[in-house]
Amino acid sequence: MIMGLEFLARVRKTSTWLGGVLALMAATYVSPMLGLAFAAGGLWSLFNLQLLERLVVSIIGPARTTPDGVRGAGMALMGMLVLLGAGALLLSLLSPMALLLGFLLPLAVIVLKAAAQLLLASRAWGALVRHPFRAAIAAVALSVVTWFALGALTSATAQHAPTPAEHSTPSEHGTPAPAEGEHAAEGEHASEGGGSQAFPNIIGLIVGANHGKPWADFLHHYEILVFSLFIALLLLLIAFLASRKPQLVPKGLQNGVEMVVEGLSDFITGILGPKQGPRFVPFLGTLFIYILSMNLFGLLPFMHSPTASLNVTVALALTVFVYVQFIGFKELGPLGWLDHMLGSPRDLTGWLLAPLMLPIHVLGELAKPISLSCRLFGNIFGEDMLLVAFASLGVTMLPFQALPFGIPMHALFFPLALLGSALQAMVFTVLSSIYILLMLPHEHHDEHGHEAGAQHAH
Amino acid sequence: MDFHAALALGLPLGIGVAAIGSGVGLGLIGQGAMQAIGRQPEATAKIQLAMIIIAALAEALTIYAFVTMFLLKDKI
Repeated sequence: MIMGLEFLARVRKTSTWLGGVLALMAATYVSPMLGLAFAAGGLWSLFNLQLLERLVVSIIGPARTTPDGVRGAGMALMGMLVLLGAGALLLSLLSPMALLLGFLLPLAVIVLKAAAQLLLASRAWGALVRHPFRAAIAAVALSVVTWFALGALTSATAQHAPTPAEHSTPSEHGTPAPAEGEHAAEGEHASEGGGSQAFPNIIGLIVGANHGKPWADFLHHYEILVFSLFIALLLLLIAFLASRKPQLVPKGLQNGVEMVVEGLSDFITGILGPKQGPRFVPFLGTLFIYILSMNLFGLLPFMHSPTASLNVTVALALTVFVYVQFIGFKELGPLGWLDHMLGSPRDLTGWLLAPLMLPIHVLGELAKPISLSCRLFGNIFGEDMLLVAFASLGVTMLPFQALPFGIPMHALFFPLALLGSALQAMVFTVLSSIYILLMLPHEHHDEHGHEAGAQHAH
Repeated sequence: MDFHAALALGLPLGIGVAAIGSGVGLGLIGQGAMQAIGRQPEATAKIQLAMIIIAALAEALTIYAFVTMFLLKDKI
């Protein structure tokens, strides 16, 4: 009894995940309505299974004579009636084929799970996996058979159903059939492996499925903004969840977030000094977390790094520039700021050199945002390009089999990308804090006299 | 040699030349930092921080060439 219930729970979990992924794929690759119908069918089937399970438990379970058990059975029956009505409504609204496929998904999961359990318990399987060599040979044989079977399957479907584009070009009638199959398969590769431009992201796929509509054009135009706003909202949500019910002894999410905040606070205070540091921790720490999440976001499937676009990095660098100048005005005052720009002249030589120092300082201040933004953009963009280049190499290095997947060559460069993302976020934060440090009044030099202060001013 | 050929030859070459300079610079930075850490292991954290900042500055020069290549690549 318990085993059966646990089995059903696992079936529910598997079919929820599998159905969600399949529905997303259908919605992006085929059409949104089809994905919706598939998801609705799967959900309907899952609810049906759940109600059936509750009915059976309340009828034959230990609580069958109590009022609770009777009420549970009644509720389940009522729910099934409601579900039948909903099913009729769905059938009249959505595509029946996709609904049926979604309905069959949990049943297929049940059958496959049961078959796998039977196979795992059987004596032949035990004999096979007892010896590592025998198991390895079996695994290799299985993957080779799957590889060639899938290749034959995809090339056969590609030959049987040539794409409309090939119909419209009469000049290609002379090409033999296998070449046509390869062409069609390569078209599929381009959408999966990314071609030469970039990995496909979810917004690009949605826009491609709804080509020409005004909202799709809008989405395509503001793709990077949508991604960065999504990341900002995600960080906001995490911060809200972590600080909703603060406890003296933190655990879970609050613990992790506190660790990150404390580490950042220590790091920035170490650069700016214990007196001035804590004031700038919120700004600089936010910069670090935001840039790090944006850098790492491109490594997720179907996502895109907003920092791989010059627009975002220039915006971040301009924020830092304006903030640093504002700090300078506020801390030094307008005259003090001018004095800083003139190179803090204190004697005759200083005043003579001041006209020379002014353009140098102005140029230096203007060069800071340019170098900050170009460095971040170039690193993250180059990293993504590297991954894309190796992913497309992994797809195209096996042209003899028309397969819908390739070798994940770019997986080798994921550690490099992780390291680079973290390092660039840190470099951006450290350089920003050093720009702030250069703008702040140098009070700890005052005890050594003005000369040292003037020397260290830049 | 027309404009396009010059660009197609010059852009990758520019990145290579910039990478030579950056590579020499990064090597010198790393050498200095390793020697400093070897002499004074207790100052490792401070030295590493300064090393990473200066390495980022040196590396940025190659990145500028890289960005320039991407800005001009469509003109080939």
